[in-house]
Amino acid sequence: MSSQKPSLIFRLWSSVEFKLILAWLSVVLVTVLLDPGHTYWNNPSDSAVIVIRNSVLLGFFALGSAIIIISGGIDLSSGSVIAMSATVFGSLLIALDPTGFREGHIANWAVLIAVLGTLLSGAMVGTLHAWLITCVGLPPFIATLATLVGLRSFSRGVTLAMTNNKSQIDFPDLVLRESLKDVRYVSIVFLVLAVALWFLMSRTVIGRHLHAMGGNEQAARLSGIRTERLKWLAYVIGSVSASMVGIVYFADSGSAKPDILARGYELNAIAASVIGGCSLQGGVGTIPGTILGCLFLKTVIDSVNKIVGSGADVYEGMIVGIVVVMAVTFSQRTGSARAQTFFATPIGWASIPVLSILTGISFLLFFRDKPWFSPMHAAAFGAIVACILIARGVMEIRAKRA
Amino acid sequence: MITESTPVISIRGIGKQFNAVRALNGVSFDVMPGELHAVMGENGAGKSTLMKILSGVYSEYEGELFLRGKPVRFHSTREAEDAGIGIIHQELNLVEQLSVAANIFLGRETKRALGILNQGAMDRRAAELLAQLESNISPRALVSSLRVGDQQLVEIAKAISLEAEILIMDEPTSALTESEVARLYGVIDRLRKRGVTILYISHKMDEVFRLAERITVLRDGQFVQTVNRADATPRSIAHLMVGRDIEPARRRQSNQASSVVLETQGLSLAWPGHSRGWRLKDVSFKLNQGEILGFAGLMGAGRTELLECLFGASSVQPQGQLIVQGKMERFSHPAEAMKAGIAMVTEDRKRLGLFAQMTVRENTTLCSLQNCSTAGVLSRLRELAATDKQIRSLAIKSSGPEARITSLSGGNQQKCIIGRCMLTRPSILLLDDPTRGVDIGAKAELYQLMEQLATEGVAIIVTSSELPELLTVSDRILVLCEGVITGEFTREEATEQRIMEAATQQPHFV
Repeated sequence: MSSQKPSLIFRLWSSVEFKLILAWLSVVLVTVLLDPGHTYWNNPSDSAVIVIRNSVLLGFFALGSAIIIISGGIDLSSGSVIAMSATVFGSLLIALDPTGFREGHIANWAVLIAVLGTLLSGAMVGTLHAWLITCVGLPPFIATLATLVGLRSFSRGVTLAMTNNKSQIDFPDLVLRESLKDVRYVSIVFLVLAVALWFLMSRTVIGRHLHAMGGNEQAARLSGIRTERLKWLAYVIGSVSASMVGIVYFADSGSAKPDILARGYELNAIAASVIGGCSLQGGVGTIPGTILGCLFLKTVIDSVNKIVGSGADVYEGMIVGIVVVMAVTFSQRTGSARAQTFFATPIGWASIPVLSILTGISFLLFFRDKPWFSPMHAAAFGAIVACILIARGVMEIRAKRA
Repeated sequence: MITESTPVISIRGIGKQFNAVRALNGVSFDVMPGELHAVMGENGAGKSTLMKILSGVYSEYEGELFLRGKPVRFHSTREAEDAGIGIIHQELNLVEQLSVAANIFLGRETKRALGILNQGAMDRRAAELLAQLESNISPRALVSSLRVGDQQLVEIAKAISLEAEILIMDEPTSALTESEVARLYGVIDRLRKRGVTILYISHKMDEVFRLAERITVLRDGQFVQTVNRADATPRSIAHLMVGRDIEPARRRQSNQASSVVLETQGLSLAWPGHSRGWRLKDVSFKLNQGEILGFAGLMGAGRTELLECLFGASSVQPQGQLIVQGKMERFSHPAEAMKAGIAMVTEDRKRLGLFAQMTVRENTTLCSLQNCSTAGVLSRLRELAATDKQIRSLAIKSSGPEARITSLSGGNQQKCIIGRCMLTRPSILLLDDPTRGVDIGAKAELYQLMEQLATEGVAIIVTSSELPELLTVSDRILVLCEGVITGEFTREEATEQRIMEAATQQPHFV
């Protein structure tokens, strides 16, 4: 029997984690070679701190999101929960120690209670999600869509009420702020959380049940698994992990502006989970994979920042979109050996001008400030892409005939 | 009615294979113009498959089909419709989110210039069709808002709107009330006066004997005989439907004097929104320790629903009493039933049993993880030991506990699920059609396994869509028809024919 067991090397090679590490290394290598400022080469430790900080901040709520996805749900609300938690944390500080808040020296007990209160508010949001999904019977997409919209607006109202009609809560205590946003502390907390969640998902009965429920909810119920309670747990983990990072974002940005703080971050969390190997059908995914997904995503964003130069944060969304499409396309391809037909269909041909124009314009956007740039370059680049795609389409037709 | 001698449909040597299952084998018979020809047979006899070939749903098959003497082969339902063949499917094929009229004309919409829908014309025509059926369903009502019986009437109206010369009706009355059935008979009469040929699939004897001129019986995918109604009796047809040699059964002595482990009294399960109103009605029976109790019944008789009630898995809470090991129970979740010592192997393995993305080990230990863990932390060693034990005792063929469950054959997947149940040490095992999609060799092994478990004292309830199987394994057989127990046979009394008669008998209530 042991002869039929796939070897360790093969299993390593075919795992999502290993492929992500390879992909990550190649992104780092490309950045080292193409970055005009050679930041990775000249200043590796600072670069590492930036990438790690970004990945860790995303990692908190991406892990929560991954657990929900593995258990067969989806959480669209994490960005709003982050904004709400920052608001709740600030509001609790004001309420618990108003003089300390004004003078910029908040008592430790107040900070502790505010942190616990904020995490509790996250747990309450998770409970609300679980109630909407299991008792009211809403699909997870709708339940968390409601809180995505609702909690942000709720937080804006709370902010107005707590600050005499200002739209943001400023972080009061400089010393506290420095320690809350310190990359080392945040990373240690993240590491503890990640290890705990990894243990939960891969070594405990609850983790096995979460995987089973995500894979086949009806069969899980018929196996005597209390699916409602598991859903509650998954959504509470999701919201509490977002609450933790909400406190850090508050400290990091120096103010809680619930109208813009962490807006759209929920999609980054879902993207990181998917890049890390979670299936939106549920049942499939790992904690290490999700962490690597965060690291890969944030490294690619940083890399484009370095290569294109300042102002590249505008393109973050584009990068996330492209990376998600590529990652899922390639991970799907491992299943079947036969070549996929991308372009040799009517829709395929119609997509070629779309893709060519998009790449041509992106070229123009990225490089328009370079001394060597002329619009002809962008047009030529678009044309080259079109030729390559047409060639691929022709090859697909040939392959079909054969 | 038979005026011409050329058959309108000639079926010649039709066969159809689904993966490993042979659904039809060399079926040949003729349908004469203008006749009402009934096709009968047990579940799985191949009736619906044959009708799907005739109506163009399946285009891959063996043999030949002649329409008015000309060879034809339909590649789509549209081609069959163009040739004048319409079908009312057994399963409702309606788009629930669309209106009645939109469903009737789906794919054949009445259009104005530029392809704009002529809603008014379709609504008017739909109203006419429904009036023919003496139904007052509004053409603009959404199908989802209709009762199942009305949905079936819409399906019938849709088939009539094709103005087909040949109409196939695949169990058209399964969801209709008696008065609706009477109206359907009226429509059938009118259609026949117009000269429409009707192929009528049913296993309700009274219907067939009322309507049909000739009856063709299929069994195990093979043609048995075509008889004139005048020459047949319900008894003779039932015999033709099941008339095969029963394999001699090897078996243990059934222990008579053992204690009752499970008992139901007046168990009923409501069926909201259905004309019948119940899925199960007044089901009372006892199950003894070490006994194998079989439940027979046609599709929709309530076998699965009954097992779901016993396992706390029904969508509606059942009424009546359930007594397990002498204790009154009311299960609201399978976890409670499992705690009381009941385990269930579900009918639809893929949808309700398997965790496709998991390994053999993970699938097998899922229900008994508390025995493979300490304080909620899994012990891989204990999991492997438990899995190995089941692999050995059930003779599961796999490349080991870490193989993916989907790499196993259907029979071995089923054994893993039975292993999953056995690890919970049940005293009562519910098996819902356990041999479905399992090859013959594995079936025999599963029978043997059931015998072995019963000898060890496990009480087993088994259902099956195959009668010979039930006769082979059961100590006692209860027959369900439309949610009511219509027969009880000991092993000695039970014959396929008697069971079939009980399963097709209409239950009557005062």
